[in-house]
Amino acid sequence: MTLLAFHSLVVVLGILSMGFQLLASRLLNPHFGSSIIVWAWLISTFLAAFSLGSMLGGWMSAQPRSQRSRWQISAASLAVLTLAFTAFFGRGTLDHIELAFSEPGTGLLVSCFGLFFVPVTMLSSFGPQCVQYLAARGTAPGAASGVIYGISTVGNIAGVMLTAFALIPHFPVSTLLYLWLAVAILSLAGLIAILRTAPEPAAT
Amino acid sequence: MKIRHFLPLALFSLPLLAAEKTGDYVESFDTTYNSLTVERQGSVVELRARSRRGEFIESAVDLNDPLKLVVAYTRTLYAGLFFQPKPQRVLMVGLGGAGFHRLFAAAYPQAFLQTVELDPKVLELTQTRLGFRPTDRTPVTTMDGRLYVKRSTQKWDWIILDAFRGGFVPPHLKTQEFYRECAGQLADGGVFITNLHATTELYYADLKTLSSVFPQVVLFGTAGRGNVIACAVKYKAPAVTDPAAWPAVSGLNPPLQGHLDLADIRAEHIVWPTAKVAQAQLLTDDFAPVEFLDVVKVNDTKE
Repeated sequence: MTLLAFHSLVVVLGILSMGFQLLASRLLNPHFGSSIIVWAWLISTFLAAFSLGSMLGGWMSAQPRSQRSRWQISAASLAVLTLAFTAFFGRGTLDHIELAFSEPGTGLLVSCFGLFFVPVTMLSSFGPQCVQYLAARGTAPGAASGVIYGISTVGNIAGVMLTAFALIPHFPVSTLLYLWLAVAILSLAGLIAILRTAPEPAAT
Repeated sequence: MKIRHFLPLALFSLPLLAAEKTGDYVESFDTTYNSLTVERQGSVVELRARSRRGEFIESAVDLNDPLKLVVAYTRTLYAGLFFQPKPQRVLMVGLGGAGFHRLFAAAYPQAFLQTVELDPKVLELTQTRLGFRPTDRTPVTTMDGRLYVKRSTQKWDWIILDAFRGGFVPPHLKTQEFYRECAGQLADGGVFITNLHATTELYYADLKTLSSVFPQVVLFGTAGRGNVIACAVKYKAPAVTDPAAWPAVSGLNPPLQGHLDLADIRAEHIVWPTAKVAQAQLLTDDFAPVEFLDVVKVNDTKE
């Protein structure tokens, strides 16, 4: 049962990350258009966040259990706080950024990193920790890695399709951002609770 | 020695030779934003954009009569004359093949026609295949239309919105906030003119959104391809929705005579589809499912 909940939460994190990218594009559109330049910055920002988040998560998973829990709570809090900032103040912030930078490329860089980079980095940091959770329960590290990144990617796909074809056509972007925030709070809380139950790996 | 003298001239001529194509041809170009086809048959060159519903004519020009308005809706854009008969400063969002521009520039040689086009390849093809030459009075800026409007500090007598990516519509150019930004850039007595596709539910959402910003909107149905030109003003009085109130716009500039018959455009006036608009969704920056409304066909486009 715990394992089912665990896998479900990994899928949910995948949904949150890539669905957020589509919501981000809708937030940016009125300010910077929908050109390929916008998408290039947006995709690069998310990939950079996935990259840094994975390395950060790898480092966290190597920490002693007590410190690891503290880092997990810090990462989750930062994810929630920055998602909340984007949901509540994203449009207003973009208004200011647009006025502050006459060159759209610079404005895009600041917007993408200011509003989207940190929450996605923090969400991504849970990937390696999920791998370690499975490994600590006896799954071979390679298999654990394959399972986590496999189902996380299924979540990514679901996030894109659900957001594009079911949510954006029916709900305002602002409402969806609040939904993302609520789901992030619940899923991160659940995941941290499960990760705490991981057995300490045997010393080698 | 002689070769050395002619070499610079020959090198300078190369781009020109490459640019000017003659004879009938069909060419395809995949650009950053569009899949374009340019076809020349006789003296007529068409610029078309591919989309899921086939090819849309962006523009066409008769090279033997460049002032001729080959594509019907470019003629209907001149409905703006009923509401602002003396356009001196015009902003056009979307270059297409500059089908509108040649006649306008000839008819209003003192006017300033600024165009904003996102796709640099469209500008290039319009110059090299359709024979359009931007001047100081008809400059073209390559950037997103909404960004341009936001950053513009100018006032415009006409703002023409004709921005499509093939048959696709950029969502951020369809929202209440964007229309407000355009209204803010209109000079007193100015008119906002937009080209709409009346074949999907997006049309009614467009009209609802337009009318939420502009107190008066008048529609002209272009014959044939389902284009409707909407002319919108930001004042409530005097009333402009009754054709009887429109000026005769007599004494058209000589270049317009023979190329434009305002009586024909007047006859294209269509009634406001009140019931359909009432049921339509308002498009905002926060909620603009443009791509989805644009695939829902309307049952009755003749309302």
